[in-house]
Amino acid sequence: MLGDRLRRGIGRADTRPVIGAAFSVTLASAQGGDEMAFACLFRDVQPPLLRYLQVITPEAEDVAGDAWLQVVKGLPRFRGGEEAFRAWLFTIARHRAVDAGRARSRRPDLPLAVTEVAEPPTAPDTADLALEAISTRSVLALIKTLPPDHAEIIMLRVVAGLDAADVARIVGKTPGAVRVTAHRALRRLSDLAERAGVTQ
Amino acid sequence: MPGFPFPGRPGGELDEPLLDMIIARRALPPDAPQEMHDLARMLGAVAGPAEPGELAGEAAMRAAFSQAASSAGISSAARRPVRRRRPRHRGEDRSRARLAAVMVVAAAGLGSVLAAYSDVLPSPIQQLAHVAVAAPAPHSSGPPQPATMGTGRPAPRPDPAASQPAPGPRHSAGIAPLSGHATSSHPQFTPGTSRPTGYPGSSASCAPSRPPSPSPSEKASTHPTPTPWPTAVTCGGAPRGYAVQPTVYPDVP
Repeated sequence: MLGDRLRRGIGRADTRPVIGAAFSVTLASAQGGDEMAFACLFRDVQPPLLRYLQVITPEAEDVAGDAWLQVVKGLPRFRGGEEAFRAWLFTIARHRAVDAGRARSRRPDLPLAVTEVAEPPTAPDTADLALEAISTRSVLALIKTLPPDHAEIIMLRVVAGLDAADVARIVGKTPGAVRVTAHRALRRLSDLAERAGVTQ
Repeated sequence: MPGFPFPGRPGGELDEPLLDMIIARRALPPDAPQEMHDLARMLGAVAGPAEPGELAGEAAMRAAFSQAASSAGISSAARRPVRRRRPRHRGEDRSRARLAAVMVVAAAGLGSVLAAYSDVLPSPIQQLAHVAVAAPAPHSSGPPQPATMGTGRPAPRPDPAASQPAPGPRHSAGIAPLSGHATSSHPQFTPGTSRPTGYPGSSASCAPSRPPSPSPSEKASTHPTPTPWPTAVTCGGAPRGYAVQPTVYPDVP
């Protein structure tokens, strides 16, 4: 089981589009009101969406729900493939996260999301980061220690599976800047992992 | 500023191809630095499959989806994609109107024939029916229906042997000639040149390598397979004989 997990982690990711060739059919079914088809779309994108939002906002589940509600409303008008669908959903989610952050900033009694996200770790437990016991949550915790724009781009490029052009549109940068930032983020992440004793 | 090197490795820019591979989630070459493999492994963990709790909101979202679909007039039972309805042709409307008229007349005529065979019609009419559809000749015991020929005396009973066949097509009294369309139960549809595409199905699979299986109605369809959409979609059962499946034009950017 552990070996499978490690092998699965090498150069592969399960949050990449999994519907694949059947996406257009699934999308059409969902647009026609097929609840099971919509469930397929949900299961395909919800895990990476939730993890992305956990990096950029403390209200990940609420924001994800708001994003899906907006998707439900706009689904009949959507046109595009699976990558475009993900880009659309993550764009909506980011906007909802920004709105949620603004709403929180107007409520002084609640902690600000930015400071919570940008705080240096709760550094993940070294044991959790050991390759033998690496987990989604522990890696997410490590990614959260990166600068916010680094963390966001890593999540959008790697976890969400969006290409540089889509990520650039979402975060408001050029594709070249996205690529450079992604490289820096990965190098910093590797450095952090080494300091934490994860890498050898 | 070029990327700072990995610990122990000069020239960080040399790692960029490997970093691009990691970002693209492609397998690294076996001789790639260990830290690259470790990095890929870490990111693979965070990009793994759904974990417990991550799909907890599915039921609520499905309910919201169903509610939205219902309010938009689309039920999950319909399972039809957004599509443009095929415009109804004038010929179809005319055919249906003609069919309705014919059926009304046919019903009236059928009643007349039955009455003729029951020998309950007035004698002149019964006589006509006798000639036309071989109904019984007017019977003296029937209802008193003095049929005169203008002389005040009952008309002589015609000699069957001398009766001449009615000129023209043999029509039962009161029954209008049936048009060719009356024999068909349904308007004549020509199967569309393009089959409906993207018919949704409740069996849309979430499995990445298993496309939805076609419904029996889809399997029995004689419509040509469209491109590029797969045929393996259930449509919720359009009745056979009715080529009213609309054409779907999914918009592809």
